[in-house]
Amino acid sequence: MTELLTTIISATFFFAVIRTTVPLLLAALGGLLAELSGALNVALEGMMLSAALTAVIVSASYPWWIGLLAGVLAGMALGAVMALFHLRFGADVVLVGFAINLMAAGGTVFILAQATGGDRGTSLALPSKSIPRLSLSWLGAIPGVGGTLEAALSGHSYLTWATVILVAGIWFMLYQTATGLRLRAVGEYAPAAAAAGISPDQMRALGLILSGALAALGGVQLAMFNYIGFTRDMTAGRGFIALGAVLLGARRPGGVAIAALLFGAFEALAIVLPALYTSIPGELIHSIPFVVTLVALVIYARRAQLLTRRRVAGVEGAT
Amino acid sequence: MDAPFALEMRDISKRYPGGTLANADVSLDVAAAGVHAIVGENGAGKSTLMKILYGIEQPDSGAILLDGTPVQISSPARAIALGIGMVFQHFSLVPSLSVAENVVLGAEPRRGLVLDLPAALRSVGELAERFGLPVDPAATVGTIPVGQQQRVEILKALYRNAQILILDEPTAVLTPQEVAELFTAIRGLVARGRTVLFIAHKLPEVLAISDAITVMRGGRVVGNLRTADATAEELTRLMVGRDVSLQVARTSHAVGPVVCAIEGVSANNSAQLPAVNDVSFVVRSGEILGIAAVEGNGQSELLEVLSGLRQPTAGRITLGAEDVTGWSVRHLRQAGVASIPEDRLARGLAAEATIAENMVAERIDRPPLVNRGILDWSAIRRAATELVNAYGVRTSSVQVPVDTLSGGNMQKVVIARELSSQPKLLLAAQPTRGIDIGATEFVWQSLIQARNRGAAIILTSADLTELLALADRIIVLSKGRLVAAFPDPANLTPEDLGTYMLGAREQPAAERAMAS
Ligand SMILES: Nc1ncnc2c1ncn2[C@@H]1O[C@H](COP(=O)(O)OP(=O)(O)OP(=O)(O)O)[C@@H](O)[C@H]1O
Ligand SMILES: [Mg+2]
Repeated sequence: MTELLTTIISATFFFAVIRTTVPLLLAALGGLLAELSGALNVALEGMMLSAALTAVIVSASYPWWIGLLAGVLAGMALGAVMALFHLRFGADVVLVGFAINLMAAGGTVFILAQATGGDRGTSLALPSKSIPRLSLSWLGAIPGVGGTLEAALSGHSYLTWATVILVAGIWFMLYQTATGLRLRAVGEYAPAAAAAGISPDQMRALGLILSGALAALGGVQLAMFNYIGFTRDMTAGRGFIALGAVLLGARRPGGVAIAALLFGAFEALAIVLPALYTSIPGELIHSIPFVVTLVALVIYARRAQLLTRRRVAGVEGAT
Repeated sequence: MDAPFALEMRDISKRYPGGTLANADVSLDVAAAGVHAIVGENGAGKSTLMKILYGIEQPDSGAILLDGTPVQISSPARAIALGIGMVFQHFSLVPSLSVAENVVLGAEPRRGLVLDLPAALRSVGELAERFGLPVDPAATVGTIPVGQQQRVEILKALYRNAQILILDEPTAVLTPQEVAELFTAIRGLVARGRTVLFIAHKLPEVLAISDAITVMRGGRVVGNLRTADATAEELTRLMVGRDVSLQVARTSHAVGPVVCAIEGVSANNSAQLPAVNDVSFVVRSGEILGIAAVEGNGQSELLEVLSGLRQPTAGRITLGAEDVTGWSVRHLRQAGVASIPEDRLARGLAAEATIAENMVAERIDRPPLVNRGILDWSAIRRAATELVNAYGVRTSSVQVPVDTLSGGNMQKVVIARELSSQPKLLLAAQPTRGIDIGATEFVWQSLIQARNRGAAIILTSADLTELLALADRIIVLSKGRLVAAFPDPANLTPEDLGTYMLGAREQPAAERAMAS
């Protein structure tokens, strides 16, 4: 037990948690924007995967940041495709999302084989680049806590720090700008927004495209920092866990960040625990985030029921 | 008249995809700074005409002129830009946003990139004050009463500088006091030069507030009158094509045994605050028991308890010989309880299901509509068509979604379904709210018929004349308590009831108990 505690309460573990959290959090922020606009984005997984591969292939011949941009564009394109099929052609958003996931799962393997000249599993043959680390070695100079701080915070990617700013930025966008107000209004009760002269379809398309961009950033961090290079199915369900984080985080940026951190911590635990307790199967620990997601979904569904009941009653109790 | 009209609609025609001709060569001249009323039966095409004016629907032909200039109104955004505002029959507000946020939505004040919420609060507050529409700009819309929600809708239009304001059945959801407040606000708007288009079914309201009246029937204009020259009888004749008296012939009849006994029932409202407080009464077979109460005094919660939608916190309910306290809606229905809920859209209908599906929803678990577990669609259609004809639901077919019906026709679907189930106990909350005068007459007769057949009926209505016309006995609720009971309302007046409803008087307990 003490062994476990010393492992968990350590700067290296904290570092690992940040590392596992960032891709989840980025995807979850994407899921949040789509969800608030009223279009559930189940394609986060496929978007992450497609962006990861795009970034790897492009960064093999161009600077890292062009790879990153290319990944983001790929995610936005998928978001736009979702918007097109859902909003223009009236297809069910969940079905479109799953279609994108299926396409991404198969398509990435196919393109990977094309790009590597036959390797269907990894991109080892490609000299892909990574996002640079931000060194905060000056933290070490702080007396007392300096060493710990440096170990925990120095050496994360630029994108990790950008993610912190993104959480704040998205909160600001949602609650302090007109666009955010409109997005939330459309998601909650589209006819009201439409009557106020706002196009619900436009706001939902915006939500889905931004959602694609954010999920893509998650995929890029995964393939250009957490791991260097692409492996088939490397997202391993993170897109769905991210969706769970959106709901568990009560559909607010701060809550979503905390939920993602929680799931990130489980993932980091799943990495260290098997080494400490050989008797616990790693699979069991790996399944924790999915179980928590499931529980979160149940809680969410119950709360949504309560909310609508209260809403109906609130409007009507006054009649 | 020299000055052009504020609004002219010329030969507007509109056929919905389903085939319904909702407007046929409709022309309308509306003078500036006045109240122009549009009346007509359910499905006459009033809302459609207004939706065309607000850019939600496009006419097949015809022209619209504002101050003499032809305009194309392709979308609500365009209508807003042209100075037209609309308050819908069903509100369009976002419940979790504040009053101010709802008002400025789509035209938000900004400081650079940032939404300027303090400015929104300030200007909405000022607007509310200027036009006499008091409401707290910081309150969450989902938590304020309907009357105030309506003010928010009006403020939304005024904030966008609407010169022409469309109010589609604004009074249907309001209490009499709220109607009076709305009328004061409307007069204020007109005094400030705004033009108001007003739709309502209650002719006394129309006669009280309007300057001119257009009567529609079957999608056409059948009359234009100056209010000063109009009478309720004449308007009714134009609307319905015959005289409607709204007098029910009350044959005397024998009252049967007690059907439902309510003993010491208490219940909370949705905010978990006490709403019904130790109420006891009985309803007998063959009588209509009227509940008179100012809105929000527990009558809604009481009916919800009786229909199984809400659990009582105390007390006992017996139906026939059985204790049914805490039974589910389904079990109560099987035991013979039917309910016409107050909010029929939210609780009485599946909006996207067809008329036929809604009509038979309550009966599809047994023959003749089901055959060995399989739905017999032709029997279902036949049953639904019968009801549609009997209740005069205006529709092209029973196979269209309910939400393509006009507001009043949706209500008729619920009423038809509930009355046709031959209930032992019928709970009727505001059964004629939002329906036209012809249909009101029909619903009144149906209620009386159900009573004569031996049903026990509990009726609530904001319209005291309706209660006095129909009820065999009346009880009064005030702050959730039963404060008076009248075994014979024949010589009661609305004023008598009013003093008890407002809590100014209370009968001695013994007298109450005897009569309830
Ligand atoms: N979206 C729609 N699709 C098809 N038909 C429709 C649609 N909306 C309305 N209708 C039909 O058009 C006719 C006119 O409806 P409208 O809503 O204009 O009536 P209304 O005069 O406002 O009635 P009410 O007093 O009941 O509100 C009705 O027969 C209705 O069934
Ligand atoms: Mg209407």
